[in-house]
Amino acid sequence: MLEVQDLRKEFDGLQALDGVSLTVPKGQIVGLIGPNGSGKSTLLNIIAGTIPPTSGQIRFDSHDITRSSADDIFKLGLARGYQDASLFFQMTVLDNTLLPVKQQRGEHPWYAPWRRVWNAEEQTNATSASQRLSQVNLRSHFNKRASDLSGGQMKLLEMARSLMGSPKMLLLDEPTAGVAPALALDIFRHIDTLCREAGITFLIVEHRLEMLFEFTDSVYVMHMGRVMAHGTPEEIEADAAVREVYFGE
Amino acid sequence: MNIDLTATLIALLTYFGIAALMAISLNLEYGVAGIPNFGQAFFVSIGAYTAAITYTRLLPLLAGQSFINPCGATLAQALQLRSDIMRTMPAVALGNFVITLLIAAVVGGIIGYLTSYVILRLKQEWYLALVLLVGGETVRIFVRGYEPVICASNGISGIAGPFAWIGNTQAASILFALLVLLLAAATFWYSQKLVRSPFGRLLKAVRENEQVALGLGKNVARVRAQVMFIGSAIAAIAGVLFALNLGFVSTNDYVVNMTLDVWVMIVLGGLGSSRGALLGALIITVLDRLTAITAIQFNRSGIELEFNYVRYILFGMILLLVLRFRPQGLLPETPFTTPAHDHLVQESANA
Amino acid sequence: MTVTLLIDSLLRSLQVGSLYALMAIGLTLTMNVVRLPNFAHAEYITIGAYTALVVSLGVSSNPVIVLGAAFIVTALVALASHLTVFRPLEKQRTSTYTMLLASFAVGLILRYILFLLADTFELFDKRIQIPLEIWYRSNVMILTNIFFWVVPSSIGLVIALSLLLNYTPLGREMRALANNFDLARAIGIRVNRVVNLTWLLVGGLAGVAGALLGIYTSVNPLTGWFAILPVFAAAILGGLSSFPGTILGAYLVALSENTIMQILNSYLGLDFSFKTAIPFVIIILVLLFRPRGFTELLPGSRGLQR
Repeated sequence: MLEVQDLRKEFDGLQALDGVSLTVPKGQIVGLIGPNGSGKSTLLNIIAGTIPPTSGQIRFDSHDITRSSADDIFKLGLARGYQDASLFFQMTVLDNTLLPVKQQRGEHPWYAPWRRVWNAEEQTNATSASQRLSQVNLRSHFNKRASDLSGGQMKLLEMARSLMGSPKMLLLDEPTAGVAPALALDIFRHIDTLCREAGITFLIVEHRLEMLFEFTDSVYVMHMGRVMAHGTPEEIEADAAVREVYFGE
Repeated sequence: MNIDLTATLIALLTYFGIAALMAISLNLEYGVAGIPNFGQAFFVSIGAYTAAITYTRLLPLLAGQSFINPCGATLAQALQLRSDIMRTMPAVALGNFVITLLIAAVVGGIIGYLTSYVILRLKQEWYLALVLLVGGETVRIFVRGYEPVICASNGISGIAGPFAWIGNTQAASILFALLVLLLAAATFWYSQKLVRSPFGRLLKAVRENEQVALGLGKNVARVRAQVMFIGSAIAAIAGVLFALNLGFVSTNDYVVNMTLDVWVMIVLGGLGSSRGALLGALIITVLDRLTAITAIQFNRSGIELEFNYVRYILFGMILLLVLRFRPQGLLPETPFTTPAHDHLVQESANA
Repeated sequence: MTVTLLIDSLLRSLQVGSLYALMAIGLTLTMNVVRLPNFAHAEYITIGAYTALVVSLGVSSNPVIVLGAAFIVTALVALASHLTVFRPLEKQRTSTYTMLLASFAVGLILRYILFLLADTFELFDKRIQIPLEIWYRSNVMILTNIFFWVVPSSIGLVIALSLLLNYTPLGREMRALANNFDLARAIGIRVNRVVNLTWLLVGGLAGVAGALLGIYTSVNPLTGWFAILPVFAAAILGGLSSFPGTILGAYLVALSENTIMQILNSYLGLDFSFKTAIPFVIIILVLLFRPRGFTELLPGSRGLQR
């Protein structure tokens, strides 16, 4: 589904990514771990189209997205989550959820003032939004401002929102950061369900290694802008070099 | 102290309608979509210049007359021609008026649309504001120095409202005021509808966090361009009305102070709220007219103080006081619920 | 175009450029240390000019006293504008646009207060009275004492400011604030003190620049406003951070306005009324195509160095 080949990124003389290659097969959950500063966020940002790479290639679902813009990438089916909740805090939960829906006629300024043109479509979207929100137990909060939610609820909302665009794959950046262990487990179970039932592919950056290892099919380890190891969770757990990088320094 | 109350009231209403259009336009651009248009006077001037061009060139054409150069030696002659046509041929006058509005809106809209793409290349936030301001001023200087459009710094006079053919001047001005108010009301209704729709939702998202909106597949650049199109079209229409109301077009009117006035209106009224824009426009227009009248009275009665200067100090203080003590404005943006919300409420009720 | 005309315009470019440099440096300082694009800077200049005018008319014609008064009064006005308007707004976490708007409003208020005063006391378009002496005359040029006041004073003050920034403790603190505000606060720099002193300094310099401008041309309430766009152009050419870049930019703008305008007029018949458009065009071109201005061309000139 996602193929990154020899990706390099240089910032003002600093080599943030030094030839990263990885593959995320369709329908799998792949983890990405590494100490802070190893380039994980940079990699995610480049894949998602927020910043351009210096060189290398990225292919998603047989499209070349190396230099595509973030909105084009989303339209192709690759959505992303952010480390800090990236909700629209001044909008309601429901509005947040409705935003990513593709091809809304009501979003075009010619049609927007005439409710009859987009009302039916909006109602359909509202219904599916309602379903997604129910899945994460946020349905009853639909009218609340996003800023009024708890931290955990915000993360769930973010996930529900990303799904509204019918993505084929999700990039998640520390989806359980700062969240209580029970909720973290919930989030991972949710991810697992989505993968198995909806066939969504995942690439997840995480620090909660135990949970990550439990749910992923394979794991990449990054260090200093390079992929230093790749394998099944068991293999990675047993890898001495990885241990050293993570716990030895 | 003799003031013609009726005339003052009519003038007030006319100015208010025009101000309302400008305020709604800027509110849409900045209040709702987050684009700091510090060059609004420029877009307003587009409307005025369009009127100058159509009234000197198209009007004679529609009346079956030949074109007389409005500048230089034939100035008086051209002026007389315009005046005659406006007074004796209602169909032509009204027709020209409508055509002017349409052309101004389209031209203004297109220029606004293109400007927003140019702005894309800017790095820092406030560069946007500076470029719009500076760009507007540059064009003004060129129009002022370059003859074709409005006879350089001389300007073009004799641009009358579309009701000059009515014998009674007061009736004509009342009709014009009503027309302006009608247009303002229509624009208000339109902007409300626009904001309470998925498009409005999109604008708010882009205003709050552009990066995330991009990441959710929204073409932010195009959205901004669309808003600028709409906002500039409205501003240009305001410009046409402004020029017709004044009766002449000169570059001196479309200066930074005009932009600033409109900013005070929307900040005072409440950023993001169309009703706030109306209220702000009303208050500022009233204050503006009051200071103008006071200044004239002062001059007449020999008081040394030039009251017009006080007007600016007053407006500046209002702006600062609002920003400091009530930044959300008098009528803050009320969170409205899109129809989708009602649908869910319905759903819960049915369950 | 005769040689005399050319040299005359070059001399004017030199004088005006020096003044722009002094004004632009203050603006750059404001933008870096306090992170505010301050449109009221124009009015600080005008206030300096008027202070100098009033002092020279009423108190003394001694240039030192005149300039000194301009410095002090404007410094206080700048500080006052910070304390009453900008600081409270900053505490409210207002957006950059709103601060820009507020600085416009401050400028507007100051400008029209000056209009009122000028109107009441008949102080429109007066020139600051420093007895004119011709200090050098040749076939191609005339240099008056005004030239020798304007140019060395401006350049001297710019150099003095550089020295202050680079070699004094206060300067170091200002640069620290410019580079990383939160970090500077964390390491114990007394932010309020430094910020206040910066405002005093910026105001004072703008005031002196205004006074010098008033010596060079006449004074009216719009003096600063007419100068501010070329000054912004100079600051932007300097990338809003580099001193050498800003100074270079200032001379470039002055040169464009005077010498290049003169050339365009002589050879292309372009009317002088377009002169005011030149800094605007520069601003737009730089912001669109080379937003960092001269910073990359000059070594070691990032972050308010040198």
